Amino acid sequence: MPQDQLWYKDAIIYQVHVRTFYDTNADGIGDFGGLAQKLDYLQELGVNAIWLMPFFPSPLRDDGYDIAEYTSVHASYGNLDDFKTFLKAAHERGIRVIVELVLNHTSDQHPWFQESRKSRDNPKRGWYVWSDTDTRYQGVRIIFVDTELSNWAWDPVSKEYYWHRFFSHQPDLNYDNPAVREEMWNVVKFWVELGVDGFRLDAVPYLVEREGTSCENLPETHAVLKELRAKLDQHYPGKMLLAEANQWPADLRAYFGDGDEFHMAFHFPLMPRMFMGLKLEDRKPITEILKQTPSIPPPCQWCLFLRNHDELTLEMVTDVERDYMYDQYARDKHMRINVGIRRRLAPLLDNDRRRIELMNGLLLSLPGTPIIYYGDEIGMGDNIYLGDRNGVRTPMQWDGGWNGGFSAADPESLYSPLMLNPVYGFQAVNVQSQKRFDHSLLSWMKRIIKVRKSTPVFGRGSIEFLYPANHRILAYVRQLDKESILVVNNLSSTAQAVELDLRQFKGKILIEMFGRNIFPRVGELPYLLTLGPYQFYWFRLRKI
Amino acid sequence: MAEESILTDEFLRQLIDVGEADVLVGVPTYNNAATVGHVVQTIRAGLLKYFPRERAVIVNADGGSRDETANLVRGASINDLQHSTDLNALRTLHSISAEYAGGPATGTALRTILASAELLRVSACAVVSPESTTIGPEWIERLLRPVYQGNFDFVTPLYRRHKFDGLLMRNLVYPMTRAFYGRRVREPYASEFSFSGSLASHFLAQDIWVHEVGHTGTEIALTMSAITGGFRLAQSFLGVKPHLDARSADLVAAMRQTVGALFWSLEPNFSLWSSIRDSQPVPTVGGEQEVTLEPLRVNRKRLFDMFRSGVAELEPVLKSILSPPTLAELQRIATLAEEDDFCYGDELWARTVYEFAASYHKAVISRDHIIQALAPLYRGRAFTFLVENREASGEQVEQNVENFCLTCERLKASLLELWNGKK
Repeated sequence: MPQDQLWYKDAIIYQVHVRTFYDTNADGIGDFGGLAQKLDYLQELGVNAIWLMPFFPSPLRDDGYDIAEYTSVHASYGNLDDFKTFLKAAHERGIRVIVELVLNHTSDQHPWFQESRKSRDNPKRGWYVWSDTDTRYQGVRIIFVDTELSNWAWDPVSKEYYWHRFFSHQPDLNYDNPAVREEMWNVVKFWVELGVDGFRLDAVPYLVEREGTSCENLPETHAVLKELRAKLDQHYPGKMLLAEANQWPADLRAYFGDGDEFHMAFHFPLMPRMFMGLKLEDRKPITEILKQTPSIPPPCQWCLFLRNHDELTLEMVTDVERDYMYDQYARDKHMRINVGIRRRLAPLLDNDRRRIELMNGLLLSLPGTPIIYYGDEIGMGDNIYLGDRNGVRTPMQWDGGWNGGFSAADPESLYSPLMLNPVYGFQAVNVQSQKRFDHSLLSWMKRIIKVRKSTPVFGRGSIEFLYPANHRILAYVRQLDKESILVVNNLSSTAQAVELDLRQFKGKILIEMFGRNIFPRVGELPYLLTLGPYQFYWFRLRKI
Repeated sequence: MAEESILTDEFLRQLIDVGEADVLVGVPTYNNAATVGHVVQTIRAGLLKYFPRERAVIVNADGGSRDETANLVRGASINDLQHSTDLNALRTLHSISAEYAGGPATGTALRTILASAELLRVSACAVVSPESTTIGPEWIERLLRPVYQGNFDFVTPLYRRHKFDGLLMRNLVYPMTRAFYGRRVREPYASEFSFSGSLASHFLAQDIWVHEVGHTGTEIALTMSAITGGFRLAQSFLGVKPHLDARSADLVAAMRQTVGALFWSLEPNFSLWSSIRDSQPVPTVGGEQEVTLEPLRVNRKRLFDMFRSGVAELEPVLKSILSPPTLAELQRIATLAEEDDFCYGDELWARTVYEFAASYHKAVISRDHIIQALAPLYRGRAFTFLVENREASGEQVEQNVENFCLTCERLKASLLELWNGKK
């Protein structure tokens, strides 16, 4: 693997759960053997990093985010040797692997918690947050409002309450306890020694609790994370930490520290505003949130995404914006969960190819490292009638045959029902059929990823917004050293004309990056462009 | 198309940037810097509060202001360059300003706003006076909502006025509009009103723009056009209408704009109004709310004196306009020494106006002179109205206005006889 320590800046990450991808032992559940077999597909797609969702032993009451053992592999997905084989194969293809590190909580089935709850004087009692009252930390918000009434749960065994920010079966670890911090470092070491390239740290704002606070983003939490980062840099330089912190940009900024905390963090507030801007046909939500986004230390990077395994979260929007998003994207109540929308990209965009392309164009051209959620590259649909967020976690659709090519098992034994409807079902939407056509979404995704990877500007360059009077046009210039790229997006469903002030690039010619066609030279006058509905251009600005 | 010739290139460029809009609020201005800032900020607040999801635009048609009017209007914009953190706006709000050619003229301003509404393909458009300092954000909802929800094409306001405010409206414009066209539009000459996109196109297609009413008195001409075009009408309660002293000072100008436009409209619409015998109510949306009104002082003595001198000085003119019995009765009451004995009653006033309308039709003298000659007579009527309603409650005043309207409807046949030349 190349040794560039900033590799994550040029990464195009593919997010996948082992369970969902490919089943090699016909038990109805995807496994590491299957993932290894499909690495050629991912290499062909052009991604150069995989983010694996939790694959550890777990009762699977929260899709694996309820971990019962940190240093092993869930039996359904294989074993550690299978993981090592997969990891080696990925690296051989130039694909890095990022794994989950759920720091905040464990499953209540984890041996640590089982020990901890045995008695109040158990040595592991202090590994979790216990209380004889449920009135501590009053006012701290409940995250899973659809299922939880309190952040405290009563333990009938040791007859005390334990603290949990997520489901009640996910007790929070106590990071005030040095033994917990040491043990989690051991977990990190374990996976790094095996060769993983980075960690996606789940739910990081909630590690430490303090009375009279929101128990989120506390300085003590940052101290824990900085300690972890320092050890990682000292012992394993080049490994990456990615923060999952669903916060406003100003609060998120602290997770980068002075370049000594996280390498990357998800830009949660941007994602819903991209959908909002598209529906409003107005760039304002996007430019506004990016203007509010503070600058980050040079080695750091934002992580961008359109969809993921969770709901399209609407926590980081105003009430007016949330109502609008629900009305526009989730009229059916089945589409809503917690404070968000449980839908995949294609159904959110009415399966409109032009809008899907535009949104992917934004994802791949705005500043940050893009993440593609498995199946979105072929336009997979969702099943909003499955519980929780399982509707966006259905099996990968490889072909139009038995179980969509996902598994040889009986269909009834699959971990999740396949998509069957005539629009999004595996017979209509699958890899095999899309590979056959140059104009399929999959083929288009390969092309745009290739174009994105043709220059480091998108991953590492600065951004300068142009503000043409036409508010339906989102235009910006990405720049790195002497290389400049002009991106012009039409957020509208109708054709638009736009005049861009490009005087700073006077004398340069525009080369459209997909077709490499030459556009007229920039002069003193406003540069006039016309764009069809939802069309976008990427232009290289060349001095020739 | 007509609208292409009235929009400057610069304004057209601004409209292109707006693109398409759902709702538009037009503000015709001319040196209104003292009040327009508050008005457009309130419009903006109303749009954000009541139409947060709609594509909205504020369009200022300016008659060549030399003050800060245009900048104050543009300052209401919300975009990614000009954003106030205390605003919770989903989308861009354009607030654009254009100076139209030909100098200040309400008609040209309205035509500019209508053309903008048509080009932007808006669903609903409201016009708001830059002098309406009592405006609240809810005005925007009350004007636009009945149209935007698709139920109505033309919405006129209902204002809460002092019983002695709006004398011309109560004693002439409203009763006569109602009698002529059979619709009880309480404010046919309104500085605030709203209309649908399709009605905007209808307005633009009318030939009023080449006549005097296309420059002054256009508001009432649009009301007539909406009525005669069979569009769906509604009235919406807005609140207090500020009393403007300056307006009452130039009565003749006000008469030209209202009565002149009203009389003018009778010509092309004869077949319609001649067949109307009574009147129908116009649906009212939104309940009237309690508001406090400032006391209003009216100089009755001046009205009385101007009536008496007018009747005397204009005798030759009045002779050519009025029938001998009507003129004789006017001359009789004009000679009454005591104000308390004076009464310019409903029936006499209705006959007077109808005879003026017929004379206007026949153009017995210059039509503008006819309108001017009505002014002193109106003052006499206004004097009677003030005296009769001195002790009346607001409800009683309204009942008296209603009685006068019924008188006008009852006597309308006499106008037809005059019109057809039987008298």
